[in-house]
Amino acid sequence: MKSPSSQDGPFSALVSRRSLLQGTAGIFALGALAPLLSACSTGGPAGGGTAKEITFWNFYGPAPDNNPQSQWFVKLADDWNATNEVKIKLRYIAQNDYVNGNTLQTAFASGSGPDVFLLSPGDFLRYYNGGVLQELTPKLDPAVVSDFLPGTLDTRKVDDKVFALPMESEPLAMFYSKSAFAEVGLTDADVPKTWDDLLTVAKKLTTPSRFGVGFETTPGYYQNFTWYPFMWEGDGQPVSADAKSSTFNSKAVTDALTFWGDSISTGVAPKKLLGNGGPDLPANLGAGYVAMQQSGVWNIAAMKQMAPNVDYGIFEIPTPSGGTSATTLGGWSFCANAKGGNPSAAADFIAWALGSMSADSIERGRTWNTVAKTNIPVRSSVQDAANAKGAFSDPNMAFFLNVVAPNGRGEPRYPPEIIKPIEDAIQAVQLGGKDAASQAAAASDTINAYLSSYSGAPIV
Amino acid sequence: MSTNLATRASGVSNPAGATAPAGNHSALPVKAGGMAKRRRRREARAAFLFLLPDGIGLTVFVGIPILLAIGVSLFSVSGFGDYVYVGLKNFQRMGSDTLLWQSVGVTLTMLIVFVPVTFVVALALAMLVKDRFPGVGVVRAIFFLPNVLSLVVIGVLWQFMLVDKQGVLTNLGGIFGLQDVSWLGTPSLALGTLIVISIWFTMGYQMFLFLGGLTDIPNEYMEAAKIDGASAWQRFTKITWPLLAPTSFFVLVVSIVAAVTGVQAFDLVYILTKGGPANATTTVVFYIYQQAFTFGDYGYAAAITTLLVAFLVIVTGAMLLVTRGGRFNADAD
Amino acid sequence: MPTQTETEVPSMTQAESAQAQISHHAPRTLAASVPRARRRARFASSERRSTIIRAVIAWILALITMFPIIWLIIGALRPADQTFSPGLSSSFTFDNLSQVLTQVPFPLYLMNSAIVSIAVTLAALLFHSMAAYALARLRFTGRGTVFLLMISTMLVSLPVILVPLFMIVKQLGLVDTYAGLIVPVIFNAFGIFLLRQYYLNIPKELEEAAELDGCGYGGIYLHVILPLSKPILASLAVLFFLANWNSFLWPLTITQSPNLDVIQLGISTLQGQYSSAWGLIMAGSLVAAVPTIIVFLLGQRWLVDSLKTTGSKG
Repeated sequence: MKSPSSQDGPFSALVSRRSLLQGTAGIFALGALAPLLSACSTGGPAGGGTAKEITFWNFYGPAPDNNPQSQWFVKLADDWNATNEVKIKLRYIAQNDYVNGNTLQTAFASGSGPDVFLLSPGDFLRYYNGGVLQELTPKLDPAVVSDFLPGTLDTRKVDDKVFALPMESEPLAMFYSKSAFAEVGLTDADVPKTWDDLLTVAKKLTTPSRFGVGFETTPGYYQNFTWYPFMWEGDGQPVSADAKSSTFNSKAVTDALTFWGDSISTGVAPKKLLGNGGPDLPANLGAGYVAMQQSGVWNIAAMKQMAPNVDYGIFEIPTPSGGTSATTLGGWSFCANAKGGNPSAAADFIAWALGSMSADSIERGRTWNTVAKTNIPVRSSVQDAANAKGAFSDPNMAFFLNVVAPNGRGEPRYPPEIIKPIEDAIQAVQLGGKDAASQAAAASDTINAYLSSYSGAPIV
Repeated sequence: MSTNLATRASGVSNPAGATAPAGNHSALPVKAGGMAKRRRRREARAAFLFLLPDGIGLTVFVGIPILLAIGVSLFSVSGFGDYVYVGLKNFQRMGSDTLLWQSVGVTLTMLIVFVPVTFVVALALAMLVKDRFPGVGVVRAIFFLPNVLSLVVIGVLWQFMLVDKQGVLTNLGGIFGLQDVSWLGTPSLALGTLIVISIWFTMGYQMFLFLGGLTDIPNEYMEAAKIDGASAWQRFTKITWPLLAPTSFFVLVVSIVAAVTGVQAFDLVYILTKGGPANATTTVVFYIYQQAFTFGDYGYAAAITTLLVAFLVIVTGAMLLVTRGGRFNADAD
Repeated sequence: MPTQTETEVPSMTQAESAQAQISHHAPRTLAASVPRARRRARFASSERRSTIIRAVIAWILALITMFPIIWLIIGALRPADQTFSPGLSSSFTFDNLSQVLTQVPFPLYLMNSAIVSIAVTLAALLFHSMAAYALARLRFTGRGTVFLLMISTMLVSLPVILVPLFMIVKQLGLVDTYAGLIVPVIFNAFGIFLLRQYYLNIPKELEEAAELDGCGYGGIYLHVILPLSKPILASLAVLFFLANWNSFLWPLTITQSPNLDVIQLGISTLQGQYSSAWGLIMAGSLVAAVPTIIVFLLGQRWLVDSLKTTGSKG
C-alpha cells in the first residue's frame, strides 16, 4: 500500500480497501477459535479435590482497620488452622464491592470461585441452580438442625437438605434521632404507628438541612429487601404460593409503592442517602441528615463504633391503618463451593464454625451476634448463651429481640429475574413519580413471563 | 516553557494542507533487483520481531477476549462455567427487552449531548488560551487538572458536593431557587448531571488536542488576515476551522468511543448511581455489566457486547470512509 | 531537558526545516518592508484590550473548573463537625490526613500503585515504540492490516471483556500476582497509534545515515529512533502513569490478598468503612490524587507536545 506521508490524516492507513478486507478475514479466522477456547475453560477445576488450603471470601476481615468484626473472622480462621490440616485463608473484599461488584461472579464464571463464601438469600437460587453449593447436611448433627430457630433455615434448604448455614438474623426496624424529636417538641410517645402518622411526623422533622425520614434509594437487592415489609403489611406477595404465577399486581403492592412514592413527593424523604445508603445509619441518621431511618439491627454496633454520641430510639415499621407490623429478617450465611478445591473440608469448616453443638461453636455464635456485631442469634442455644451474658439487657437489643423479630419473615430467595422487575417498579414510583398501579402491572407481566419458563429449585 | 515550545513549534511543523507543495517528501525510494528483494525480506523479518511483543500482548489480552465475548454470544452461559449452544437466541431476545432499549436511549443521549458540547467547549477553551496572556500556562494546566483525577475520587468528590440539602453545589442552586433539587436522585436530572461531570473532566484533554492543532497553524496566516482586515470570526471560519479539520476529526472519534464505552459510560455510573434512579443512568455498557454480574447471563451480555462493538465499528468506519481516513486535503493522494 | 535539536528534529524534514527558517523571519520582514505596517500599529491597542478580556474570562473559567478540587482540599482539612459548613471552616486540621497515612495502610497502597504504574509505563513505552517503529518505518506485506487490527482494539473497553480476560489471565496463572496487575494492561493501541504518528515524520535521511554506518534495524531503532522519541515517550509516560494509577476495575477483579491492594481499592475500602467520615474520605482522595497532580505538572510540557502530534500529524 501507499506509504503514508505527513499530509495524511489520522487514520489514512485504515482506509485502504485491501487492508479492510484482510482485517475482516483475520477477524473471522480468529473467531473460529472462540468456541474452542470457551470450551476448554468450561472444565474448571475438578470438584471433590483435596486441596490443602481453602479460601474464604468475605466482607469483614481481615479489614485494614482491624475492627471487632474483622478480629472475629481472623480469630475464626486462626482457631481452625491451629487444629486442622486443611488451612483456611481469608480474603477481604469491601462490602460495597462484594455486594454490587463483580469479584465473586467473575471468579465463579471462570471456575475459580472461593471454597467458602458469604451468601445472602437473594443470591441463593442462582448459586444453587448453578450447582456450586455443597450440601452441608451430612456434616451436621441433627440436634443442631433443630437448634436453628424456626424459619431461619428455610430459605437455605432444598428438599430438606441444608446448603448454607446462616450466621445471623438481621431484622429491620425504624430508628429515630432523639435530639431531632426533642427539637420539634416530640417525645418517645410520638413515634408513628401508621404510614400516615409517619408522613405527618416526618413533615414536622423536615428542615432546610434535614429530611424527616430515610428509605433506601439505591436500586438493588437491598432496596427490595427493605420494601417487602410494607408489601407484606397489606398482605401482598409478588409470587403465588405454588410459584406458578405473579401476584404482584395487587392493592397491597400498589399501596406500598405509593407510600414510598409519597415520602419523596411530599419532600420528607431524600432521593439519595449518604455513605453506604440505607444500611448505613451512622452516615445518615448519625450525621443528622435524616431524623428517622429504616435500617437493621447491625446498626446498634455500628452506631457505637462510628457515632457514639448520637442518642437514638427504635420503633416498629409503621403499618397501613388496620394492618399488622411486619419486617424482613436478613442475614448472611456461610456456604461451601461444590466445585472448589476441597468441598468436603469446606463443609467441615462451616459445620465446625457455625453448626456444632460444641461449647466453642456456641460461644463463637454468641460473640459474633452480640459482641463483634449486633444481630439476633439464629440458634436457640446461642440466644440462651447471649441472654446468660446479659446481651439483651440493652434496651435496643431487647426491643429487636422481643418486639421486632417475632413479626419477621425470612428474606425471600427470589432470583434476580424477579428482583429486577420489582426493583424497577419501586424505583419508578419512588423516584420517578410514576403511577403505582401501572408499574405493578408491568412488573407482574415480567414476573409471569419468567415463571413460565423457570426450572430449578422452588422459589418459595 | 510550554509557550516557548508552542511558539517555536508554530513555525516548525505545518498542518495538513498548509504546505501542499512540500508534500510526499517521505515517499519511500523504490529500489530494483535481487538485492532489493533480499533487503525486503530482511526488513519484513525485522518488522515481525519488532511487532512481536505488542502483537502477542494485544492478541492475548484484547483480541482473544473480544472474540471470546463474541463467541459466547451464541451460548447460554450459567455464570458457573456451563455453556449450552443456543444459536441466535440471545440476539432474538433483544427485540422485546425494554430495559435494553432504555439503556440504548441513555447511551444515545450521552452521545448526542456529550460529544458536541464537549467539542464546542474544548475548542472554545483552546481558542481562549491559544495566545499568551499572564498566567496562560497555569490556566491551561487547570483546565486539564480534572483529567488527572481517578474516577473513584471524582465520584467521591461530586457526591460530596451534590448531597441533597447540604452539598455546596446544592446550596449554590438554592440561590436560584433550586434548593430542593436532587441532582443525582431525580431520574430526569441524573443523566444530565453525569454528563456535566463528564464534560468537566474531559474538556481539558480535548482542549489540549485542539491546542496542538491550533499552534500548528502558522502565525503569519493570521497576521496576514488581520492586516487584510478580516474579523476574528472570519479568521476562525476561513483559516482556523479548515486547518483544524484533522484534529477535529480525531477528537470526534475519541469522544464517540469514550461516550459509548469509556469511563463515563461505566466507572462514573458504577460509582455514582448504580444505574439509578429508575434506570435513568443505565448505559448500554452498564446494562451489559448488570446482565453478566447481577443476572449471571454471560451469553446475553456477550450478545449485546457484539452489537455494541459492531455499532462502533460502523460509526467510526463510516467516518473514516466519508473523510477518506481523516484526510482533508484533496491533493494528498 | 532535551536539547533544542532533539525536540525539533523529529517533527520536520529538511525541506520543512528550511521553510521553518524562512517563516521564523517572515513576519518581521513583512512588517518592515510593507506599508501595511501602519495599519498594523492601529491594531496594537485593540489587541491589548482583547488580550485582557481573554485573560479575565480564562481566569474566571479556570477558577470555576478548579473549584471542585479546591473543595476537595478544604474538605480534607476540615474538622469532622464542620463537614458541610458552606464557607471556609473556622479552623483547619491535619488529623484526617495523618489518620489516613497512619491508621489505614495507605503507604502500602501507594507503594503498590507506584510499582504497578511504573512497571506498566516502562514496558508499554518499550513495546509500543518497537511496534510503532515497525508500523511507521518498515515495509512489509500486511502492514495496513496489522495496523487496522491493532487500532480496532481501541473500540472495546474493559467492562465488556472482563470475564474472558479474567479467564485468560487465570489460565496463565497470574491471578493475585503483581504480574496479573501489570501484564494485561500494558497492551494498549492508543500508545502505538500516537507513536506511529510521530515516527511517520522522522526524516528518512537519518535512517539512511545510520544504515551507512552499518546499523541494522535494531541499531536504527536504538540509535536513531529512540533518542529522537524522548519528548513523545516522556509525554506518553505521563499519560500511561495517570491511567494506571487511576485504574480500579481491573485491580479489583484480579487481586485477592490485601497486600496487593492498590490506592483506588484503598479509597473504595475507606469509603465503605468510614462512610460517615467525609473528611477522612476526602483526605484519602487527596493523598491518592497528589502523585498524579505532581506527575502531570512535571510532564505537562511534554504532554502538550504529544497531544499536538495527535492533532495535526495524527
